[in-house]
Order: sequence, then C-alpha cells, then structure tokens
Amino acid sequence: MHPLRHPKYAIAVGLLFVLVGLVYWLVPEIGHWHVDYAGVTMLATLGIAMALMAYVLIAGSPNE
Amino acid sequence: MTTDTHALTTEHSPVAGLAHDARGGISNPVLGMILFITSEVMFFAGLFAAYFNVRANAPHWPPTEPAELAEHFNLHAEPWFAAALTVILVISSFTCQFAIWAIRKDNRTGFVRNIAITVILGVVFLIGQLYDYSTIGFGLGDGVFGTTFYTLTGFHGAHVFGGVIMLSVVLYRAMAGQFSARHHDAVEATSLYWHFVDVVWIALFSTLYIL
Amino acid sequence: MATTALTPAAAGYRSGLYDWVTTTDHKKIGILYVANSFLFFFLAGLLALGVRAELAQPGLQFLSDEHTYNQLFTMHGSVMIFLFIIPMLAGFGNYIVPLMIGAPDMAFPRINALSFWMLPLGGLLLFTGFLSGGAAAAGWTSYPPLSEDRPLGMVGPGQDLWLVGLILIGTSSILGAVNFLVTIFKMRAPGMTLFRMPVLVWTVLVTSVLVLMATPVFTSALIMLFIDRNYGGHFFDPSTGGNAILWQNVFWFYSHPAVYVMVLPAMGMISEILPVFSRKPLFGYKAFVFATAGIGALGFSVWAHHMFTTGSVYLPFFSLMTFLIAVPTGVKMFNWIFTMWRGKLTLSTPLLFAIGFLTMFLIGGINGAFSASVPVDFALHDTYWVVAHLHYVLFGGSVFGVFAGFYYWFPKMTGRMLNETLGKVQFVLMFIGFNLTFFPMHVLGLEGMPRRIADYSSAAGWNTLNLAATIGGFLIAASMLPFLWNVFVSLRSGKVAGDDPWEANTLEWATSSPPPPYNFDRLPEIRSERPLFDLRHGRAHPALTPPAPDRTQQLPAGH
Repeated sequence: MHPLRHPKYAIAVGLLFVLVGLVYWLVPEIGHWHVDYAGVTMLATLGIAMALMAYVLIAGSPNE
Repeated sequence: MTTDTHALTTEHSPVAGLAHDARGGISNPVLGMILFITSEVMFFAGLFAAYFNVRANAPHWPPTEPAELAEHFNLHAEPWFAAALTVILVISSFTCQFAIWAIRKDNRTGFVRNIAITVILGVVFLIGQLYDYSTIGFGLGDGVFGTTFYTLTGFHGAHVFGGVIMLSVVLYRAMAGQFSARHHDAVEATSLYWHFVDVVWIALFSTLYIL
Repeated sequence: MATTALTPAAAGYRSGLYDWVTTTDHKKIGILYVANSFLFFFLAGLLALGVRAELAQPGLQFLSDEHTYNQLFTMHGSVMIFLFIIPMLAGFGNYIVPLMIGAPDMAFPRINALSFWMLPLGGLLLFTGFLSGGAAAAGWTSYPPLSEDRPLGMVGPGQDLWLVGLILIGTSSILGAVNFLVTIFKMRAPGMTLFRMPVLVWTVLVTSVLVLMATPVFTSALIMLFIDRNYGGHFFDPSTGGNAILWQNVFWFYSHPAVYVMVLPAMGMISEILPVFSRKPLFGYKAFVFATAGIGALGFSVWAHHMFTTGSVYLPFFSLMTFLIAVPTGVKMFNWIFTMWRGKLTLSTPLLFAIGFLTMFLIGGINGAFSASVPVDFALHDTYWVVAHLHYVLFGGSVFGVFAGFYYWFPKMTGRMLNETLGKVQFVLMFIGFNLTFFPMHVLGLEGMPRRIADYSSAAGWNTLNLAATIGGFLIAASMLPFLWNVFVSLRSGKVAGDDPWEANTLEWATSSPPPPYNFDRLPEIRSERPLFDLRHGRAHPALTPPAPDRTQQLPAGH
C-alpha cells in the first residue's frame, strides 16, 4: 500500500511536532538560556494529539 | 483487483473493534468522539503549560510562601488518598472496557453490570475528589500553587462529571433494552471518552504528586 | 440511470421562520452563518468608523475619554475575528463542502445547527458589555495585567462577558471542525479520492485541523483569566508567583494558527474561482495541497513572533520559522499566477475580487516578512505598521476572498445572478478605499505612531496620513451600499442562474440552483478533480488517467 495511505505513517505528522518541541527544549537547555516550558508542553502535547488525529482519520476512512 | 486484500479495518488494526459502517471505516459518531477527545487533550495542554511555566519560574516548588500553608503544599508527603483515587479510576476504565467487550458479544447482563459499576466508581471518584478538596488545607486563591492545583484537578473533575453523565445515559438506555452487538455507537464513544478521562488523571497525578 | 427527483414541497413541511430556526440542512445553516457574519461585519465596521472618525485629527473630538476609544478598537478586533471572518469562512465551508464532495449533508447535522446558534448568543454576550458599564477594553489580545481585575485593570463585567462569549464561540468552532473532518474523511462520493477533492475542501480540512488543535488552548487561556478575575486566581499575577507573559504565550499559541484559519479557506475559494475564469485548471494541484499542509504545520511553530519584544522569547527559532512560512505561501502565489497565465480571462466580479486578493495579500505577506526580522520588529512592534500588515492580509486577503466567493456562489445559493455592474462599482470603491485607508499606515508605523492610541499630537506630523486613512475608511463603508443594494435587488429580480452559470469544474454545479434538500439527484462520474469538466468534454484518454480505486469491500469477520 502506498505509504501515504497507511495509518501508521500518518503518525509521522504528530511526531514532527514532538520533535519540534524537543528541539525547542533542548537548545536553550544546552545553551543555558531561558527554557519556555509552556511552549514545550504545548508543542509536545500537540504532537501527541496530532498523531492520534492523523492515525484515526486515515485508519477510519473508507477503503477506497 | 488489488493484490493487497487487507482492508484498513481488518481484525489486525487497532480500530477494528470499533463500530463500522457499511462502506468500511469506523462509524461517524465514534470518529467524531475521538477527534473531540484530541481537542480536549489540547485544552489540558494549555492548563499543563501554565503549570509548568509557573513552576519553572518559582524559586521553590512546592512554594515555601505563605509559610503557614507550606506543609499543605507538599503533596509528595501524603499522596495516598490521590493514589487511591487513581486506583478507583483505573479500575473503572477496566470495567468500562469489560462492558464494551460484553456488548460486542451481545452479552447484555455483563454489559449492564459493568457499566453500572463504572458509573458507581466514577461517582466515588468525584466524592473522593471533593473530600480531598475539603481536607487539603489550601484553596484556589492561595498563591499560584493553589490556583494551578485547583484549576487542573477541577477541570479534570468536571470532565469526570461529564463522563459520569454520559455513562448514566448509556446505563439508562441499556436497561431500557437499547443497544446490540451490531449497534452500540454511543457506548463505544462514551467508553473512549472515559478512557481519555482516566489517562488525563494519570498524567495529572504523576505531575502533581510525583514530579 | 433513472432520476429520483423528490418534489421540494415534499420536504417543506415546516413553515418559513420556524424552518430556518430549527433547520439542520447544511445549506440553510451555511446561509445563516453568512448572514450572521455579515451582520457582525457591519457592526464591527461601524466600530472602526468610530475609531477612524476620532483619529482623523489630533484632539479628542467625538469621544469623551480614552476608555470609550479602547472599547471601540477592542470590540472592532474581537468581533471582526471571532464573529465575522472565522464564522463566515465556516459558513461558506458548511454550504459548499458537502456539495463539492457529493455528500447529502454534513456528518452531524444537529451539531452543525448547534454550532451556528452559539454564534448569535456569543455575539450577544460580547455586545452586552456596552450595556453593563463598558465592554471589554483591553484590546482583542486582552493582555494581563490590564485585563485582570486588579487596580490597574478592567473592573466590571464587560471583560468577563468577553471571556465567556469567546469560550462559547470557540466551542462552536471546535464542534464545526469535528464536523468538517468527519464529513470530509467519511462522506466523499465514490471515486472522489483525497487527491481528487477540490482545493477548497483541502483548505477547509487543514483549517479544521488548526481549529481542532489550537482553539482549545485559547479556551484554557480564557478560563485561566476568568479564574484570575473572578475566583482569586493567580495565573498571571507576578506578585504571587504568576506570570503575565504566560498569557501571551498561551494566547498566541492559538492566535497564530488562528490567522491561518482566517485566511486558508479564502485561499481555497480563490483557487476555485481563478481556474473557472481563466478557463484553465489550477496550476500545480498537488503542490498547492502540500503547501497548504505546510502552512498549517508551520503555523504552530511561530507563535512567539508576536512576543519578540518581551525578552523571554527564543528569538532565532521563531524568526527562522516565520521566514520559512513565506515559502509555502509563495508557492501558492505562483500556483495562482500560473493558473491565470495564458488563460482566457473573463473579468467578472468574482475574478476582480480574486485578483484583488492576490495583489493585496502579496503586499500583506511582504510587510509581514519585514516583521519576521527581529531587529525590524523591535522597531515596528505595536506601531501602525502592524495594523497595516494585519489589514492587508485580513481585509485585502480574506475579505476580498469572501466577496469573491459571495459573488461566485450566490447564484448557487439563491438561483439568481448578482448584478455585474453594481459588483464592479463595489469592487472599485472598496479597492480604492481599502488602499487609501491602510497604505498610509505603513508610513505611520515607520514614523513611529503607536497602535491603540486615542489621540496624538499635531507636532508628530501624522495629521495628513490619518486624515487620508479616515477618508479611505468611509469610502469602504460607502462601497457597502452598492453591495447591499445588489443583494436586495438580485434576490427579488436577478437573472435566473440555472445549474451552472459559470461553466465550472466542481460538483456543486451539477445540481440545481439552489440544490434540493438532499443535494443531488444523480452524481456524474468522478475520475479527476474536475468532474464537471470531464462530464462536459469527455475524459482525457483513459490511458492518461490513473486507474479507478478498487472498491471490492473486505468487511471484517463477523459482518
């Protein structure tokens, strides 16, 4: 099946945001600058929510 | 004719058990509920974001000001009651899932019984939460610790309350003879919501009492 | 295939007003959304005229104090965003999306109706502020500590009514987004794969994802502020451990994706209109779809570019992400321009507004890119430069897009054509008025005029430009008159439209104008993103089209 059709690849879009959140936390943490925990939380949770949404939309779609 | 005969909704997929409609794919109400749940996840994201932000800015956490409340703020010292509430909610998630499995196999007695137990456990949780509020020793206005604690647990409690209402409606309809193995979208949707409420509590409990 | 036309009378068992109030038909609900949104557009426009009238000359001429002025611009912004543009685009989506995908209605018709009716109620709550000692007056951005109830802030119910009204309106949006997503993913007609959907449906899809994910965060912020104001909370109060910047962080995490919510469906509408009036398919369909998805994704990573000057923002990250977002937007510009290139253009009113969109949104995008640069933003933050930027993208972009869509789909919705001459008069007046109002604001911003001030000194040298902007504002208001007259006259005696007056490409034109309650008697074969074009001209050589999807159903065991 084309990768864009399979539900488990849809999770990639959510993981992208978790990755952005990770970068957003890591870079200031390593550089000893101010870490924006609010932003990290929101980005990481966004990733989880997006992954769930993308999975269920693709997996739950009719088979055509 | 496609060589790949696996439909997206075979027994192998995690969504296989969820209600289907004739064209394949999960049923509209169940899909709608899952999407709504993702939006609720983001609602709690905003509240958690506030908590982590405020905690990171605080010189001490739990706060040592005001001094007379400092010992009440130390939730790590006495997490037992909240842990008990956690156990109750987790058990209720199990009973909810048992109910789902029962109705999928047309086992009405098991279904009604387990939904009833879930409702009761949910109510016990709510009563327990209110009791906890009454004995915890600080209020919403007691510094930013009180505000974040009550807002987070309060909105979770509100969601539990909503879930209890949904479960009660399901219980009522079940006792009235509605729902069958082929036709129980509302039960699936409600149970998904209830599991979500449980997961949020686990995140809350870990954040407030353990971290 | 035999047609099965139900007589419209068979469905009309409820009389007039009661039908409109209780309807769950997505078409009627769409029209209700559009009408309600126009009402709030005019109300918020009047508030803007109040602002411009006061600013035309130095000195407080009309208003007794600055506090009234603050209410005017706060309510102008809030109503335009939450009660006009977002619901207007949702309303167009509501009407058009099920038709475009060949569905009989939205997935959840009753939730659809609920979503609509929460809007007039939310609007009522917002405006009740004026009657209760003052509406919200802390800007549509409502930053604490000004928006708190502490000594510096907004005492009185107006701000609380604003909070609760917006919580209600946000919930309406979220339910609408769930509805759109389930409809688009589950109810497409056979043959309509995701990559054969019209681009408007794609933009509504991405918009719905943004609404679903971002709006609840805004709801949480509104609730936190409400708790601070009414229950003694301390979220945003630094003296007790809270953090005023926290509000900005959570607020903008929603409000930045929100601006894409405000513009993506308008871009979708333009993308439907340009091909029809250029007699050419949209250039680069797949690129457009991926660019839309890219804008949606990047839109979540730039929120703190509204907070550069707070000192608590990771500047390089947000500056980079903001510049990046110009890329997919630029891709779309190329898509649109190359759609028109060498096409056979018909300069109808929808096309004029679409071209207006392209040119004005381009300017808005460019002046936004200036602000993406941190040092430039430090100078221009909270000046009229930002006001110019936001109006070029929201008015020059979204509003022009809305009018383009209105002129284009009015025949489908009502069965009557709008008058072209009046439409062109509106366009010219609006285009001139809009540029006269907002172009000077670039200069005013560069000269340092701050936002949200009720008055300014003559010595600053801003008089002429402010006067010009006010004249432009009243010209925009004047352009509404031919528009309203056009709608009134055309509803009564406009030319009858027929099924497909524009010779268009998408499914909504394959049924009567207006469509029957169940939308379609029969659907044409769907083998490309232009099913109506295929129907009219025959499909391209079968060897060139991809094979039809295999619809052999594999139902799980037990079914």
